[in-house]
Amino acid sequence: MSWGYLIRRLLAIILVLVIVTFAVFAITAILPGNAAIMILGEYATPDAVAALQKQLHLDQPWYMQYYSWVSGILLHGDFGMSLRLSLPVTQVVGEAFLNSALLAVTALVAVTIIAIPLGALAALKRGTAVDLIIGLFSYLGTALPEFVTATLLLVFLAAPNTGPFPAGGFVAPWEDLGGFASHIVLPAVTLGLILLAHVSRQVRSEMSEVLSSDYVRAARLKGLSERRVIRRHALPNSLAPAVAVISLDIGYLLGGIIVVEEIFAWPGLGRVLMYALENRDLPVIQAVTLLLAGIYAVSNLVSDIVIALLDPRVRYA
Amino acid sequence: MTVSLAPVATDANSSTEKPALVIRNYSLSYRTDNGLVSALKNIDLTIGKGQTVGLVGESGSGKSSMAWSVMRYLPPNAVETGGAIRLAGEEMLDFSPRQMADIRGSRMSMVFQDPSTSLNPTIRIGEQIAEVLMRHRGLTKIEAYAYAEAALARTGITRPKEMLGRYPHEASGGEKQRVVIATAFACEPELIIFDEPTTALDILTARQILDLFNQLREETNVSALYISHDLGLVSRVVDEVSVIHKGVIVESGPVQDVFRRPKADYTRQLIGAVPNPDRWIGVDAPAVPETLVKLDDVGVRYGAPTKLQKLFWPKDSETTGFWGAKGVNIDIRKGELLGVVGESGSGKSTIAKVLAGLQDFEGRLEFAGKTFANRKDIDRAYRRRVQLVFQHPDASLNPRQRIGTIIGRPLKLYGVVPADKVAARVAELLEMVRLPADYAKRYPHQLSGGEKQRVAIARAFAAEPDLVICDEVTAALDVSVQAAVAELLVKLQKDTGTACVFITHDLNLIRQLAHRIAVMHHGKLVDFFDRPDARSDDRDAYTKALLDAVPVPEAAIA
Repeated sequence: MSWGYLIRRLLAIILVLVIVTFAVFAITAILPGNAAIMILGEYATPDAVAALQKQLHLDQPWYMQYYSWVSGILLHGDFGMSLRLSLPVTQVVGEAFLNSALLAVTALVAVTIIAIPLGALAALKRGTAVDLIIGLFSYLGTALPEFVTATLLLVFLAAPNTGPFPAGGFVAPWEDLGGFASHIVLPAVTLGLILLAHVSRQVRSEMSEVLSSDYVRAARLKGLSERRVIRRHALPNSLAPAVAVISLDIGYLLGGIIVVEEIFAWPGLGRVLMYALENRDLPVIQAVTLLLAGIYAVSNLVSDIVIALLDPRVRYA
Repeated sequence: MTVSLAPVATDANSSTEKPALVIRNYSLSYRTDNGLVSALKNIDLTIGKGQTVGLVGESGSGKSSMAWSVMRYLPPNAVETGGAIRLAGEEMLDFSPRQMADIRGSRMSMVFQDPSTSLNPTIRIGEQIAEVLMRHRGLTKIEAYAYAEAALARTGITRPKEMLGRYPHEASGGEKQRVVIATAFACEPELIIFDEPTTALDILTARQILDLFNQLREETNVSALYISHDLGLVSRVVDEVSVIHKGVIVESGPVQDVFRRPKADYTRQLIGAVPNPDRWIGVDAPAVPETLVKLDDVGVRYGAPTKLQKLFWPKDSETTGFWGAKGVNIDIRKGELLGVVGESGSGKSTIAKVLAGLQDFEGRLEFAGKTFANRKDIDRAYRRRVQLVFQHPDASLNPRQRIGTIIGRPLKLYGVVPADKVAARVAELLEMVRLPADYAKRYPHQLSGGEKQRVAIARAFAAEPDLVICDEVTAALDVSVQAAVAELLVKLQKDTGTACVFITHDLNLIRQLAHRIAVMHHGKLVDFFDRPDARSDDRDAYTKALLDAVPVPEAAIA
């Protein structure tokens, strides 16, 4: 992996984001209905509609609209004003993004910490009851959609007065860390359960293959301890595909977060996006979509870098 | 481990020095869905101190099972049904897994067939050698690395310190095998098992590894079990040899005796099958040589620059990519067998692909008066008249088609026989390759490796071609099967007058079959000569090196 490679990848990300801005812009422009009518309601007078259109620059040709939108982002970091909230988009989206990031990163870290040892254990105990139970459990997690898992968790763990966890809401960690922790458990578990199976199954299949490889056999025939054979020889070589899956799962996570935030009343990007879609708050929709695309592109790059660190053969390719 | 031990009489000289390894009356079976399948039956084998014993057998003979038994590394479905395996007099069947882990790598180690898969790709070479020393010798990291450097130097690695910091993919095949050997010798074991240590290597590299083996043997006085399928090679490195067939040792003794005066039928059969370069079995070449195919200044560049690259970086267009073959001039005569030899990456398969019309090339290809300057010009008529047989029949035969369908395809495609005669012709072709006609109903997986290769050959000959290209067709086969396939090919040539290009790395075999031999090296044709001139003085230096590197079996010299 060279600097040239990194620069090429960064340029590719920028290209992807440019294409996304076009797509986002085109879709919102093509959508039936008129933003001004949406805002003012169907009984608005033509004069009022025309005035609002002028205020929103909707009367200008599309390329002028696109130009003023993109130049605002690039020159001032300004995504415009929310149509409904009368707040800058950056302020609306920024806070929500932070809240969502807290939830997503917690879920992702928990999945990584739990799924990798679980997959490795299943591979080591392949064909035994342990393997079967891990497999069953993780398939169940994947098979159940978020709203079902969330409902079950709510019924059993967040019953009024008796449940150990709150049924929803959000407390910022810098205000009350304990409150934050108790609020994040259920949404993070709901998100994580789905990904657990993806990652643990991937680790299991790769680890099984690595365990039957010639070099693991060679390591055992050198008389190395089983602990060293697994931790030094087998496990590091089983992780690359899991990292690739985790990075692909980030896309999945971004979708899941919309549902989970809605259920647990978590004030994040998902809720903002839902609100913006319902109210046709175009600048907000555009900003959120662009942000999600950016996260996805960057996480893919990060995963490629991690894979290269795990496998020296990739570094020079 | 509870194994019934047969009473064994102690050897008379055991009081002075115990043999490194003694196997007595040892039997092993595998538990399968069809009940117990016997893998080793009543094995007796003794390796004296400082002695090298060869274990020779074909695939499925049980020679690998023997290695795993000695290393005490058996799969869970293995059942040991009696006997004794003793390392310097100690009964290993009684050892606990923990005791075995202490012995493996320190008192007993192993060198594997393929160094590219037996080294961990993500760990630097230094750590892979040092970890054994740290585990068994209790050395510190610094001591272990210093020792590893010395061990590498002893195996002839020129810059051992630099090698310690490399990953396996940054070393050549020969270097990697030296690393594996250095690791095996690191703790100065009493016994080393060599499991086909040169099979995956090129001819010249294999020769160097063999020389290294002999050198280290003398220096260290280690005892070794040398497992191989290659009789010629074994006769050059071992003191005593045991021939194993279907899990039974059919013959043992000093290597000279076994090869010169084989007692068992199977040994005799095996020795007879080993290619002997001085025993010519090919067809008579046509009296008047007539050119069939001509390659004129043919080159193949892999990774050639694209049009875009040529436009933007015209300066680089000469240096990008690499030449799989360059400036090759070969003519193939009607009815002859032309041998093409070379090491891996020499360009011999590239030439096969050009001849078969599968590879873009530069230069000219002349066939029966027609000239092709480009792969895309090659027409269907050419493709019918030039057929290809691949190395691995498992990969080249469609597993979902019956043998009859596979052989019938070219018959239908080229309209060789009318549709209602296809089945009859398939039966004839099967008979030609000495397979029963009812094999037409079978699927490839129901056939043995040799039988599958016969089917692939029948399929090639079905099109009634003028030229058949055989790309390492015997490389994946056992010695005895290989001999039969080679003989079959010669018989088909005799019957049909078809010319054949036989690509191989086996110099002994090709000297039995070919009229003329082309030698390729780094994509260039370095030598081209008539078979009888193989040993003449004006051969290219590379040809001489190749010929000298190949061990000729003892029996052939005697």
